[in-house]
Amino acid sequence: MNPRPRGTTATSAFARLLETLRPDLVRFAFWLARDRAVAEDVVQETLIRAWKSREEIKDPAATRPWLLTIVRREHARLYERKRLPTVDLAEVEALGDPALVSGEVSDGEAGLDDLRRAILKLADEYREPLVMQVLGGLTTSEIAEQLGLTQPAVLTRLFRARNKLREIYGLAPAEDAE
Amino acid sequence: MSSVIDCKHARLQIGGEPQVLSAEVAQHIATCAACSKFRDETLAMEGRLKSALELPLHHFRESPLKVAPRRFALAASIVLALLVGGGAWLFRPQPVLAAEIVEHIRHESGSWGSREPVPPELLDAVLAKAGVRYNPRLPVTYASPCPFRGHIVPHLVVQTDHGPVTVMLLSHEKVKSEGKFTEGQYHGVVFPAGSGSIAVLAPSGQPFDDALEQVKEGAL
Repeated sequence: MNPRPRGTTATSAFARLLETLRPDLVRFAFWLARDRAVAEDVVQETLIRAWKSREEIKDPAATRPWLLTIVRREHARLYERKRLPTVDLAEVEALGDPALVSGEVSDGEAGLDDLRRAILKLADEYREPLVMQVLGGLTTSEIAEQLGLTQPAVLTRLFRARNKLREIYGLAPAEDAE
Repeated sequence: MSSVIDCKHARLQIGGEPQVLSAEVAQHIATCAACSKFRDETLAMEGRLKSALELPLHHFRESPLKVAPRRFALAASIVLALLVGGGAWLFRPQPVLAAEIVEHIRHESGSWGSREPVPPELLDAVLAKAGVRYNPRLPVTYASPCPFRGHIVPHLVVQTDHGPVTVMLLSHEKVKSEGKFTEGQYHGVVFPAGSGSIAVLAPSGQPFDDALEQVKEGAL
């Protein structure tokens, strides 16, 4: 096993940061790809690319959004390169993925597992900004920049994503903004 | 005081950014019980949403290996048998292979400059990308998945007591026996390992045999 990085250099700090952020990168990739194996491949590529380009990062606080950007790009590249089939919403294999099973005992309210399955069924255009915001911690402005959308368009997508998820809690959806 | 936005736009703001309470939304919900309730519901759902997205990772690979790995462990006895029985030093690796290895190293000559060990996650990722498993037991200060002869191969730089050496794990290149070569300013050797071979290179100015020995010992 490669000895753990030591010292206090920027490189070692970056290595520790990668280690810390890796779990969220895996989660983010999973929600993008809706496939565990693809997510793992995407994160592998991301780590390799990030390490090669680590000199680009001057502000450690910028590392997280930067890595999420790489995950998104690698995910897109993987689909372009391998021409992976697009996922039919009605046949999302990941719905049965054990990673989605929390083991949580339902108390009558919709459980985490139900919510996860509902998130998986969201169309990409809603699921992606939602994951970027809630899991990635990105602002609507940052999401807009990454997705090439206007900020109002991102706001609308986020609103619609949550509106669709309200249903599983038996909450009435709000009237659409448009 | 009248609201500057209507319910539809207040809910758009709340549903789009539940954690943000702008002055105009605050003003609106102060006078609109339905939108105030909508915000409470949305915030309550938000905590569950975050928990749902934060998947437990025990079903994911801890070490990102994606294919059955080819092992690159050097059994000392096997290497010794090859050296003695095969007359290893009489064989030279295919000149074309040696030349291509050196050419590849030339393009990444900066790889010898780093002294910081690469993170274990990165080394794992590079090995996994090539579908190989390798345990150098020496600090690896450079790791890159490199295209080589139509395959992705791990290109590593390992720090020995005698200086940095390049180790390329050539899982798709079979060689009959160990053979040394000198190309330009580099000393190198390619020897069989697992179902493929390993190439080790160093600049000609540093003691190569001792470094090679350490690489082999480290991989045991």
